Parts: sequence; C-alpha cells; structure tokens
Amino acid sequence: MRSYIIKRLLYSVIIAWGILTITFILLRVGPTSPVDRYILNIAAKGQDVESVRQAIEARYGLDKPIIEQYLLYMGNLLQGKWGWSFSASQPVMELIGSHWIYSFQLILLATIFAIILGVGLGILSAVNQNTKIDYATSIFSFIGISIPGFWLGLMLILVFAVYLGVFKTFYDTSYPIWSLENLRQLIMPVLALGTGELAGYVRYTRSAMLDNLRKEFVTTARAKGLSERTVIGKHVLRNAVLPLVTIIMFDLGSIVFGGAYLTEIVFGIPGLGQVSFNAIFANDYAVVIAVTLIGTFMVLFINLATDLIYTYLDPRIRYD
Amino acid sequence: MSKDTLMKWIVTLVAVSMLLTAAPGCSAPAPKVAGNYIEGDVSGGEAETLNWILAADASSFGYVGYTLESLAGYDNKFNIVLRCLAKDIEVSPDGLVYTITIRPDLKWSDGSQVTSDDYVYTMNNLMFSSWLNYNYKDDWQEVVDGVKQYVVPAVVDNTTFTVTRKSVQPEFVYTLYDLMPYPKYIAVKYEGNVDAFTQAKEFNNLSYTGNLGPYTFKEWLKNDKFVLSRNPAFFLGKENGAPFFQEMVIKMFGTSAVMQAALEAGDITQCGIEPQNVAKFKKMERINVYTIPTRGYNIISYNQRDNGWEGLRKKEVRQAISMAIDKDTIVKKIYLGFAEPAYSFIPSSSPWYSDDTVLKLGVAPLNSKQQAIEMLKAAGYKYGKNGDRDVLLDKDGKPVKLLLVTTPGSDVVESMSLLIKQELAAIGIDVEVKWVQWATLIRQYMANKVPGSSQEARYNNGPGAVSEETWDLTLMGHSTDPLAPSGSRVFFASDGGLNSFGFFNDKVDALFAKIRSKEGLDKEDRRTMYQELSRVISEEQPVDFITYSRGNNGFQSNVKGIEPGINMGYNYYLWHFE
Repeated sequence: MRSYIIKRLLYSVIIAWGILTITFILLRVGPTSPVDRYILNIAAKGQDVESVRQAIEARYGLDKPIIEQYLLYMGNLLQGKWGWSFSASQPVMELIGSHWIYSFQLILLATIFAIILGVGLGILSAVNQNTKIDYATSIFSFIGISIPGFWLGLMLILVFAVYLGVFKTFYDTSYPIWSLENLRQLIMPVLALGTGELAGYVRYTRSAMLDNLRKEFVTTARAKGLSERTVIGKHVLRNAVLPLVTIIMFDLGSIVFGGAYLTEIVFGIPGLGQVSFNAIFANDYAVVIAVTLIGTFMVLFINLATDLIYTYLDPRIRYD
Repeated sequence: MSKDTLMKWIVTLVAVSMLLTAAPGCSAPAPKVAGNYIEGDVSGGEAETLNWILAADASSFGYVGYTLESLAGYDNKFNIVLRCLAKDIEVSPDGLVYTITIRPDLKWSDGSQVTSDDYVYTMNNLMFSSWLNYNYKDDWQEVVDGVKQYVVPAVVDNTTFTVTRKSVQPEFVYTLYDLMPYPKYIAVKYEGNVDAFTQAKEFNNLSYTGNLGPYTFKEWLKNDKFVLSRNPAFFLGKENGAPFFQEMVIKMFGTSAVMQAALEAGDITQCGIEPQNVAKFKKMERINVYTIPTRGYNIISYNQRDNGWEGLRKKEVRQAISMAIDKDTIVKKIYLGFAEPAYSFIPSSSPWYSDDTVLKLGVAPLNSKQQAIEMLKAAGYKYGKNGDRDVLLDKDGKPVKLLLVTTPGSDVVESMSLLIKQELAAIGIDVEVKWVQWATLIRQYMANKVPGSSQEARYNNGPGAVSEETWDLTLMGHSTDPLAPSGSRVFFASDGGLNSFGFFNDKVDALFAKIRSKEGLDKEDRRTMYQELSRVISEEQPVDFITYSRGNNGFQSNVKGIEPGINMGYNYYLWHFE
C-alpha cells in the first residue's frame, strides 16, 4: 500500500507539472494582455496606449521570450516563490493564504450538510419505498436538483435578509472564522451550495439502497433473524455506499475547481473561486497558474483518497 | 385674541427665534464623529494597487485618495477647491512656468514635514524615471523640436516649487492639480529597483500618509473590503473636526442585485442604483436617491478605413445614419430617462460645452428617417427592392449590409445594438450585430496596419492601415474629461493613438493643436476654439455620439452633507450621520 501511495503521489507531481506547463503556455500565447482592461481608461486620459502597454508588460517581465519567462517562473517556483499578483498587488501566496479559508469552510460545511441529509433522506426514502415519505423525499430531491444554486441564494437573501432581517445580505469577514456568528452567517451560503448536492445524494442513495435491498444476501441476513436496523445499517448501506463515495468525491472535486464560485459571488464570500475568476479576467497569470495548480493537487488528492476509502469499504479491493 | 395681536405675537416670535439662531452660541451644532460608512461597489470596480504610481486603473487612485489628498479638487461647478495647495497655482504670463505653493502643515507619518522636495523628487526620480515606467507620463511630456521631453520641476523653497515647460499647454494646470507626492525618505530606499518598489510594504499599506487624508489605511482583503480608519490629524479637519465617520469601508459585491438588496436592508450606507430600480428606491423613506451627470458616453464609430463600407467615408452618409438613430428613444426606453443625448465629446456639464454650435443629429428636428433617406440618395445611392422592402443599394447594386461589432455582457449595449439594427432597417440598411469579447474587439477590429507591411499592429497606423477583420460600426462606451476635453484627441486627431476608425481631418487636427498652444491660454479664446471643434466634429460625424449616462446613487437618508453633482464626492470628508 505504501509503495502504491508513493507511486500515486509521484504521478501527481508529474501531472501537476504538465498542467502547469500547459496553463503557462496557453496564458502567454493567448490573445490577451493584462493591459487590455485599462485601454479605455488610459486613452480617456490622453495617453499613448501602446507605450503604456509596453511599459506595463516590461514591468512584469511579460516582454521577455516565453521560454525565458517559463524558466524564470519554474526557477522561482522551486525556491517557493509563486510570484507577484499584479491585479491584487501582493505576493500570490499571501493572496491565496488570506482567501482559501473562506472557500474551505464553505465547501466543507456544504459537503457535510449534503452528505448527512442526502444519505439520510435517501435511506429513509428507500426503506419506505412507495409510501408518502418516499414521494415527499422524491419531490424534494427533484426540486433541489432543478433549482440553480445562485437563484436559491438570491431568494434566500431576499426572504431572510431583506424581508425578514434574520441574516445580513452579505458575508461579513469581520467575524472571526471560529465564531458562532460566522457559523450563523454561513447558513444561507451552505444551503445554496449544498441543496443541489443533497438532492442528488438522495436520489443516488435511494437507488443504490433499493438495488441492494433486492439482493439475496439481504434475504439471508433477514432469514438469520438479524434486526432490520442491522440489515439496513450493516449490510445494505455498506454495499450501497461504494458508488456513493465515487459520486461524492467527484462532486467535491468539481466544487473545489470552481463550483463554489457562484455561491461566493452571490454572498460576497472572498474565497478562492472569486480570486481565480477575477485573476482570469485580469489576465493575472501568476495567480491563475497558482490556483490551477492548487486545484489540480486537490483533485489528485481527492482521487487518491477515494481509492483508499474503497479499500476500507470493500476489503476485496487491494492495490498491492 | 384679535387678528392684529396675533400677528404681533407671530412677528415677535419670529424675530426672537431669528436672533437666537444668529447668536454665536446657538449656531447649528458641529456634526459628531459616529458610525461606519459602508459604500457598496461591484467586483469589477476594485482597485488594483495602493502603490498609485504603478496604477493604470481609475479605482486605485480613488482608493489612495481617501488617505492622500492631491494638490486641488473641483466642486460640482468645476471651481477649484484647494487641498494641499496653500494658494492656487500661479501661471507665468507666457504660460510656461507654474509656481506651486503647498501648505506648511502637511506631515508624513513619521512627523516630518511634506516639502516641495518630496513633490519634485516624486516627479523627477519616480514619474519621469526610465526604471519605473509611469503609465501617465504623456501628461508630463512635451514635444520640443520633434523630441519628446519631460517638463522641468525645481524646488524654490520648503513649500514652493516650479514646473517649467518649453511649450504652452493651457490644460497642463489640471494635470498639476492632480499631483500627489511620495515620501522621499522612504522612496529613496527602493529607487532603481522596480521589483522592490512594487512590493514595498510602506507603499502597499499606505503607512506613510500622515495627516494628508481624512482616513488612514486599516485593512484590504481583496474581493471583499477596503477599510479605512478616521484620521483625527487630517489637515483639513483642524477646525471642523472632520472627518465624521469612524471608518470608511468599500465593500465589494459580486452582483449589483445583492448590493442593492444590501442597501435596502440597511446593511450598507451607499451604492449605485440601476435605472430600473430607481423608482423603487425613491419610494423608500430610509433611502435618498441622487441622480447626477457622469463622464461616460456611448458612441457608434464609423469605419472610414479601406475595409469598411465605402459609403462611411462620406460625411453625408454618416450624417444620414446618425440622423436615423433616435437618441430620445434610447434615453427613454433603454436608460429609462437616466441619460441625455450626446452630440460631442464635451459633455453638457463641461464649462467648455456649447449647445449652440453642435449639430444635434438624432434628435428632433434632425431625427427623421425620411430626411436620412433623402440624404443617402443625394449622396449618390439608390434604393431597390428586396422582397417587399425598400433597401439601400451600394455602388454595385447590391443591398447594403453593415456589420456592427460590440462586446457582450451589458443589457444597455445589447438593447442599444438591437435598436440601432431596427432604426437602420427603417432606412433600408441591414445591420448584422456581432458580439465579441473585448480582447478580440481590440485585437481583430481596432488594431490595424498597412497590409503587407512589417508594421506592428496598433490602434492607428495611419490612413492606409486596416484591421485584421472587416467591420463597419462599433458600439462602445468611452469617458471624457469635462475640464480638459482636448485629451479626446487620442480618438479624433489624425495621429490619435485610438483613432481606430480612420478619421483624418486637418481642421480638427489644427483646432486640437491650437487649444493646446499659446493661443488657448485665454479662456474665452479657448472656449471659442472648443465651440468650433465641437461644431466641426459633430458635422463630420466620425462617430455618432449617442448618450451621456446619468448615475443614480442611493444613500441611507441619515447621511448628511452631500452635495449632488458631477463631482459629488468632492466634500465627502464633511459627510456625517444625522
């Protein structure tokens, strides 16, 4: 197992390097420049646009040949220097360091919320198949899947912040991360981000549970006189949870790679989603590469974790 | 009580109350320092740097301005309001030497005096240096004997310095009013090293600003908020105790919908309001909405280069097209009344605007489809049938079809594009609207070069140059400087850096040159020149000036001291909560 993990980590580094290189080249050869967004402002002040473009590109080393820029970047990266964000005027790592926690707490809480409620409701729905509980759960999950998260977020703000005044209209970074006020103000964003996931998990869990409930080992377990709770909890759920892990981990990867962006936008949460999208629009190359690299590592790590969880859930799976 | 007695009582009461309020001790109490002022803004408007000399965006100067005053500002009528200046800038009779006298009570954070040496150092060693590449250096350069060179600053004494030019540029004084200093005692440490200067903590945290602004820097979390604390030492607050907010916060929002919801809920103090929401906010007792003129305008550029429709190279055709596009409809239907028709690059709020000389195409009586058709016919074009429609034919007898290129993402621009298509269809011109990203627009449609040459593509490579892609019309938003509108020569002069539409006119070039010369020193003469320039450009119609938009700002009604106008924030340090 250890050699498997080491091998996977090694592969991860190679994949990340490949993605970094491709991202670096694509950003540089693309038809954009960090100066594009200023052109009208510069022109409105009567300046020579071309000379300003050259000046800014020279200041950030973007006038050098691409191979020289790449070697310089890699050299700095190996020394732990991620570069300077010219759209935020601070070191890239400082920028990411001050924002990651906002995305992390949102994704973590939304995922926990979606898993606990989604799996719970899915089990409830399956064991009560074709009853009112099942129908109600199904309707809820269909609605949850159909509602776009950003729309739900806007509606939550309108009802609970504007009309009822229960919450603030935006996420307030003045509260300490480890405070009840912070937890409270995350309720709406977590609902907006987690509801779609939750609804999906209800459907997947119900389906996987029903598949397994019809299998012979369940009949055997019941024939052995095991309680229904043991049959469902120990035998059926354990088998049903394997495909669910794949889906949940896949979803987690999607959220990490930008899925939380819209929620961050709606609630004004200054997370990595906002950082990366603003950097893309500003052609802030150093930040774009850094967040791509972080996202890549996160996804690779999630994939590795998924494979390892498989071995725990299904002892038949062995990697060595 | 008789009527006369009652009147006597009333008169006596009024007189007593007037006497009481006029007494020194009973004047309106000074505002109290209280509360945090939170201004909402949408993400695209966030500043990029507090190290202002490196900034290319307007917001960065705005953020820094809270902590560091320039030499002077302007009120809503464009009167000069002195800030760091002890008295107005003196200009020598020949218009070449500017003498600047700063206040003696300006201090850096270490307590040392801000001197004229700091200003001169900022210009000579930073703005004019080759290692730093200041983005707005053109403002400080002049062409002498065909060579570009910088103006010459010199220290006179601790609080006085001069800036000397070799050529007269009457509007240079406005550049000087905007000047801000860097502290020499800190900047010398980083001089010559662009990376070190860019990353200098003192400059990125504005820790040097002393008593130079009403607020001092507290915190900046990107994509979230910019927080400033009240500066009790502010040099303009000695007598009145200003500023009056404990904190000034600029809060960023991802969407304007949530920002306006925050205003409605009372979570923020102020934000911009979209035209469709103004009526709703005006009904709210807790909110005051102020509608003010802005510097932003929309134009349709006519491609007069060789790869545009040849008709657009004729003045009469351009006039006819502009005449067919109804500006009042755009103002009423698209801007819901929060705009005014534009006829020139000089807005009506500018002291240089002349309403009498501009040709008001697109507004009655010069808004007539029939007249436009007649003008097109007079220009030598015929009409033919396409199905049951009358369509304009080009010289080869084919129906004229124009390509309008613009950028997506704005409801106003999209609605306007469709309205233009509809208006021109009514005079027999089909318009295809193409939405492209900004980077594509500037590279493939605006940048141009002479075909087959080794020129590097620029936005104006002279008369023979054409863009990579063909186009006929572009719809874009621009902004202008109402005080020094001659900066718009970048668009309309033959050598203007953003004259991508290929408008070359000797008379216009001569007028721009005249305004920026000794002949423009006299304000009345300059006004006459601007009148003539506006007339010529509005007649030539290199572009169709569509509208100047008006901004709507919503404030919680307990904010007092606001003077609505084009420079509404000029006295923001006096604003306070009731």
